[in-house]
Amino acid sequence: MSPLAQPPVCPAGRDGCPVFVECQRLQEECRRLRKLSQTDPLTGLYNRRYLMMSLDQEMERTRRTGLPTSLIMLDLDHFKRLNDTYGHQFGDAVLIRVAVLLKENVRKLDVSCRYGGEEFAVILPGTRLPQAVRLAERLRNVLAKSWQEPQRGKRGITASFGVETFTSRDNMTPKAFLRQADRWLYLAKAQGRNTVCHRASPQAGPETGLTPEERRIFLSREKLHDDKAEGSYG
Amino acid sequence: MAESIFWCITSGKGGVGKTCLAVNLAFALARLDKRVLLVDGDLGLANVDVLLGLEVRATVRDILDQGADPSKTVIPVHPNLGVLPASSGVPEMANLGPEDQAVLGEMLKSVAAPFDHVLVDTAAGLSQAVLWFNTLSHCSLVVVTPDPTALTDAYALIKVLARHYQHDQFQVILNSVQGEQEASKTFETLAQAARKFLNLRLDYLGSVPADPAVKKALRAQVSFLEQFPQAKASLAVKIIADRMVRLVQHLPSARAINPEVHAI
Repeated sequence: MSPLAQPPVCPAGRDGCPVFVECQRLQEECRRLRKLSQTDPLTGLYNRRYLMMSLDQEMERTRRTGLPTSLIMLDLDHFKRLNDTYGHQFGDAVLIRVAVLLKENVRKLDVSCRYGGEEFAVILPGTRLPQAVRLAERLRNVLAKSWQEPQRGKRGITASFGVETFTSRDNMTPKAFLRQADRWLYLAKAQGRNTVCHRASPQAGPETGLTPEERRIFLSREKLHDDKAEGSYG
Repeated sequence: MAESIFWCITSGKGGVGKTCLAVNLAFALARLDKRVLLVDGDLGLANVDVLLGLEVRATVRDILDQGADPSKTVIPVHPNLGVLPASSGVPEMANLGPEDQAVLGEMLKSVAAPFDHVLVDTAAGLSQAVLWFNTLSHCSLVVVTPDPTALTDAYALIKVLARHYQHDQFQVILNSVQGEQEASKTFETLAQAARKFLNLRLDYLGSVPADPAVKKALRAQVSFLEQFPQAKASLAVKIIADRMVRLVQHLPSARAINPEVHAI
């Protein structure tokens, strides 16, 4: 409840009204259950259900305001091996640690969620692709530097990242948006892990602007003719 | 009542004679007994009103910001022709956000209802407003001169509209040409590029020859068609207007007037 709101009072003005007490108890219970239904018990991050709801909301906001929404998906690298080597308790500790790092390193309006297993998602409202990629790179760095495996000299805990941005001229469902970010995540895995992939990654070329071939067609005819005569063309 | 036909007069490059052509085409259509609304779509640096020496009391901006009555903002300049002026020197108007687009779209639809043809004269460049006006219209009239820079910019605009907004109705008008041969040669270059790289067909709507009468009328703030009806340019514009009227039945109808456009 907002701290500015008046403390609730019985409308009939009775002290210790049992109906009113019950009402308050139910309100409190409702808040507790809502929180329970939205969070992941292990890490305290938002859960998948909340992720889908929030994504839907932010995409709607993008459609209304024109400000893009970005989404980062990340998956811990070789988590299964870690779990198998050091046990599930250690694995859980790692997940909790990652959750803390996520919370510490995203901005106030960003929504960090545990998507499932060792996969996490961060919704970035009002964020364009380059900023989202920068944030993903920062997270990747923080994770990679956070700590080493107990066995000295081995590699640290790393994660692979996929980043996607939804603009109001895209026509996508929240599911499709997630799938798209997930595709980039798979690409990051395929490229050797501990990396960030997105549609502006070097492997995806820019789409607008004129190509040199297109440009050439509009050079004046005399110019083309001269070039040919000098033998510098073709 | 039949749906109003939206034409967007556009070019990519500035200074190719868009506004002048828009004004004269509007007069030509009005003389063919069509009811015409000329919209100044250069929301930041309007000059349809200057070209016609009009006294502007309210503009598109007043409608958006203060809810001015759109139908009272239209200035009648001919029994069949009204002008909806825009504001000048208001840079933020060049960037139309989604909210503005929605409001402006609704507004245009209601103002346009009594007219047969709506001509929107756009700004130069690839701003959101320019792209939006194009996607909103049934057909884009792309004005080019034989100048290579004008051709390149026109092509760039067509490319963005085709690739990002699935816009495919383009009619090309060649302006300030020295003869029909130069016009068709220039058009062929543009059409060939569009066919080859965009898999898109461009149509040739006509050409307007370079004519001293155009500049004379411009200085006097009148339409050349009205002032010099027998000038070469005037005859050419009349032919184009005729073709536009005949084209109407071939245009895909009822394009949704609520597209959303964003900066690239």
